[in-house]
Amino acid sequence: MSTGPALGASDKLTFLLSLVPYLMDHESVSVSTVAAHFGVSPERVRDAVNLIAISGIPGETRQYLHGDLFDIHWEEFETNDTIVLTHLVAIDDSPRFSAREAAALIAGLQYLSSLPENADIEAIASLMAKLTRSASATPSQVVVSSTEPGEAIALIKAAVAGGVQIEFGYLSSRGEHEVRHVDPLRIESVDRDWYLRGWCHLRGAVRTFRLDRMSGLRITDLPTDDRIAEALPDTLFQGSDSDLEVVVELPAAAVSLLADFAPQGAGTGPADGPVHRTLRVAHFHGLKRLVAGLAGVVSVVGPPGARWITRDWAAAGAARYDEVVPGEQGE
Amino acid sequence: MSTIPDKPGRVSVEERLFSLVLALIATEIGLTKAEILSTVQGYRQRYAVGGDNASLERQFERDKDDIRELGIPLETVEPPDDPGSNHHLRYRIPKGLYELPADVSFSADELMLLKLAATVWREGSLSGESRRALTKLNSLGVDSTDPVLGYSPTLRVRDASFEPLSKAMDRGQIVAFQYLKPGEGTPRRRRVAPQAVVLHEGRWHLFGTDEDVQATRTFLLSRIVGPVVSVPGATFVPGGAGKGQEALAELDALWRANLAEIAVEPGSDAAVRLSKRQAVEQGRAPGESTVALHYTDLDILADELAGYGPEVLVRSPPALRAAVLARLVRVRDAHADPQAPAGAAPSDRAEEGTR
Repeated sequence: MSTGPALGASDKLTFLLSLVPYLMDHESVSVSTVAAHFGVSPERVRDAVNLIAISGIPGETRQYLHGDLFDIHWEEFETNDTIVLTHLVAIDDSPRFSAREAAALIAGLQYLSSLPENADIEAIASLMAKLTRSASATPSQVVVSSTEPGEAIALIKAAVAGGVQIEFGYLSSRGEHEVRHVDPLRIESVDRDWYLRGWCHLRGAVRTFRLDRMSGLRITDLPTDDRIAEALPDTLFQGSDSDLEVVVELPAAAVSLLADFAPQGAGTGPADGPVHRTLRVAHFHGLKRLVAGLAGVVSVVGPPGARWITRDWAAAGAARYDEVVPGEQGE
Repeated sequence: MSTIPDKPGRVSVEERLFSLVLALIATEIGLTKAEILSTVQGYRQRYAVGGDNASLERQFERDKDDIRELGIPLETVEPPDDPGSNHHLRYRIPKGLYELPADVSFSADELMLLKLAATVWREGSLSGESRRALTKLNSLGVDSTDPVLGYSPTLRVRDASFEPLSKAMDRGQIVAFQYLKPGEGTPRRRRVAPQAVVLHEGRWHLFGTDEDVQATRTFLLSRIVGPVVSVPGATFVPGGAGKGQEALAELDALWRANLAEIAVEPGSDAAVRLSKRQAVEQGRAPGESTVALHYTDLDILADELAGYGPEVLVRSPPALRAAVLARLVRVRDAHADPQAPAGAAPSDRAEEGTR
């Protein structure tokens, strides 16, 4: 299936088609104003204007003669960094949304409307209707169900608004329980899991926390430290030099299930044959949970310690079913 | 009088696409392919009069697709006096369908809300689509304050199948992919007419017609383990605007109907995490170490519960109990090493002590 134009080209074309009607509505506007309005660099605005000014239609002569091209007030542009369109061609108005563009915004609105503080459901519904009418085809059927992230998000937002730290008990994947003080930076969800990213005062570093592993979350009156806000890496998890390497075996087609662990290793066997991949994990205790959750798909090849931990974990889990459940038949 | 100088091979992609859009909007009756290739900026420089233009024609086919992907209604018109003739097909972009409807406008407050909606998507194709939609919105010239960024929850769509599926959905294109069904060990090829993509309970689902059994099925995007490919020549008529909500309603009903009762070890990872998803109590009063969970798919929940190992014990339903036990036994046996005695992992024992 075609992957469409390189991201750059479709974004650039969209910008050109959007910039023209904006410039038509503004008799004279500075490059910096346009850049701020569209949220792009002044350089990108200048590039676009340079291209628009030499573009047009073939025209009757099919020679792209002067009258068939856009034109700008070149002196204003070159000396004052100001854009004045002096001749227009073909386009009069803003383009419609594509089915998927409208769908992306509609799904975003659905998501917002499920959060408690965005209770203006009517405004959101009317916006969705407008987006649907403004699309060139029926918006793609992308639907987001309401989610209940719980009170944690409201508390964290209140802490952000007040510029104070939050405190919570946190059970690490190793099973250790610690009280953390954190400057909240961003809440993200990946699939079904919610994460808080923030500056952890215990570790003195940016850390990612699962919301569902927090307990006793509360707002403190300790101020946050503003200067670390920009230090947020874009990837949720970062590897560490102390990571352990584990080799696992799984069908080649299933490797994508382990994307979180950045599996390494060559493997060009048959599509349905097993392959080996090397994962980097902080400790084996996260691994045993991962492997037990992918029974029949992934198994640990080595090192032996990782195999034993996984086996003991599954064996202990299976042994629980030897107990007789009160009021029910045993296995 | 100035004209654009001919610069062979020096015309950028965006200039060629922009010129094509302008030319097709400006024409009422449409342009033939030959006219486009010989006159439009970016093609004409490479056009060989009376020669072989096969690669240029392929370029035009791709450009046409790319332009349509952006929501620009590029139409094909058959000549009335010569219907069915490929040679005299004309191409145009009707202005009325290209432009935003005249009566649609957005207030500053609405624009702010839309900007916020766009920031929900952190990466992947939905964030690209949102970004282009915002660019188009900005062309309306409405000034709005930027929403406070950073503290709104954001979503990541990691599943690589999301983009090809949503494209196929728009085109009414039947697709095929390898699907690793939860509970099974090897993937199977499925042929599906995609109708909707739904985020439910934090998981992306594909809702569509399984072409091999001619019945509606739901697939987890995270379990689509190979590339999503088009089935050549196989198309369907998209179900229209209601399909997404229909899929959501089905998943919701399923979720509500299924209830599992699970004993959790107090203080464990399972206790902390599962208790946050506790369903409303259903008459019975389980002890504090028991949680009731709704679920949509038994095998998905069984996978998750098996991951918790000894931290959970499924009480009901029996099928879930059996599924979890079977998984644990399978993992245990797959890792049995004759040379290693049971409980030979000392570091693990220490950690288990916290249970």
